[in-house]
Amino acid sequence: MTDDLAPSPTRPERAKRRRGPIAVIVLLLIAVAAVLFVTLGDATLVFYEVNEVVEQREELVEKRFRVVGTPLPGIVETSVDGESAVIFTFCAAGTYADVAHIGDPAELFQPGVPVVLQGEWVSGSLLEFQTLPNAARDGWYLLTDHMVVKHDNDYRTDQDRETDIESCGLKE
Amino acid sequence: MFKQNQGVTSSPKSRLLGFATLLGLVTLFVFAFFLTDPDVRLHPTTGEEIGQFDAVRLLYLHVPMAIIGPYLAPLVGAVASVGYLIKRTPWWDVTANAAIEVGTIFCGLVLVQGSIWGRPVWNTWWEWGDVRIMTTLILFLMLLGYLALRRIVADEHKQARRSAIVALVAAINLPIINRSVEWWESRTLHQKSTLSELKIEDLTFFTLMMGIVVFLMLFTWLVLHRFRLGWLEKESLEQEALTAIAERRAEATTNEEETS
Repeated sequence: MTDDLAPSPTRPERAKRRRGPIAVIVLLLIAVAAVLFVTLGDATLVFYEVNEVVEQREELVEKRFRVVGTPLPGIVETSVDGESAVIFTFCAAGTYADVAHIGDPAELFQPGVPVVLQGEWVSGSLLEFQTLPNAARDGWYLLTDHMVVKHDNDYRTDQDRETDIESCGLKE
Repeated sequence: MFKQNQGVTSSPKSRLLGFATLLGLVTLFVFAFFLTDPDVRLHPTTGEEIGQFDAVRLLYLHVPMAIIGPYLAPLVGAVASVGYLIKRTPWWDVTANAAIEVGTIFCGLVLVQGSIWGRPVWNTWWEWGDVRIMTTLILFLMLLGYLALRRIVADEHKQARRSAIVALVAAINLPIINRSVEWWESRTLHQKSTLSELKIEDLTFFTLMMGIVVFLMLFTWLVLHRFRLGWLEKESLEQEALTAIAERRAEATTNEEETS
């Protein structure tokens, strides 16, 4: 076997590429995929209306879901199982549901301001529901632990504003 | 176009625009944070004060930034990218890069500032699943991808062509962001458009309009300078290449003379 002393042909020079930007692009693609997966894959992120969760109660039992509605006057601050809570009734499209929200409510949480709650249906009742002026008292209540406020798009003065926050009315 | 030989990106007109923008920003801040009223109204039934209170002032910045970051800048970038794919001239490519680079900053600011506003108003810093936040985040990531792609050393035309395609893909997201609050109403905390329904008036309306104009001026000023900088970079690279070729030629000539 003889050593090949002839100079080996040089490889064609490839365009130099920086690995950093390529790694960044790969990470960004993974991030986009993750965002899409989280956004589209989690059914609990859809907001139901109060009337929908009442109608679909049997299917939603033992499931976590989000529900949007308008709290009615008569919010009670109390504690449930040693944790601070607010007890209230909220409504949408004329349907009412009683709520026990565990934890501090949102800063702007007030009657008439729509909120999105996340939690589950619980069979039974709490003593505090007896004091609520508009309680549903149907043997079920929503036990929630996540509250966000859904505000409207109206920035006009009082006299020009629509009062759609009261569209579900008060229970007679 | 501008005084390239001085190696600067400003011109008398751009300096005037910059000064007007600065003045507009100061005026906007005064109106937004001192002269306009907080968003307060009385509940028709309970009589309690409800609204966004002082947090509404952030919207005078958020809305203009949101018009530019996730809409105007990527749109300009997409149009310029189409221009590049048709004309294949660097002017379009440099324009697209300038618009998208500035737009990426605005888009990031929209997400951050929206988060700051969301904490007191929505009771959350960030809401996974909110379609408008998510589609804006995806756009932001795509714009970052566009910028990263431009950092990869490749043939100038190949790089411009790839970047243009990414800009056009990102632009598909623009109508989705815009219509998301209508299409997926049950998946967003974002309100529907206030301006299209004209649910805003008086000083609030004036301040918001002023904000949009001032931020458009800021965007124009930034894109103008970024474009000029990009053009100078391109010319500098071309000059370097020409110099290198001239040096090699001179070297070759010297070698030939020595051997003969």
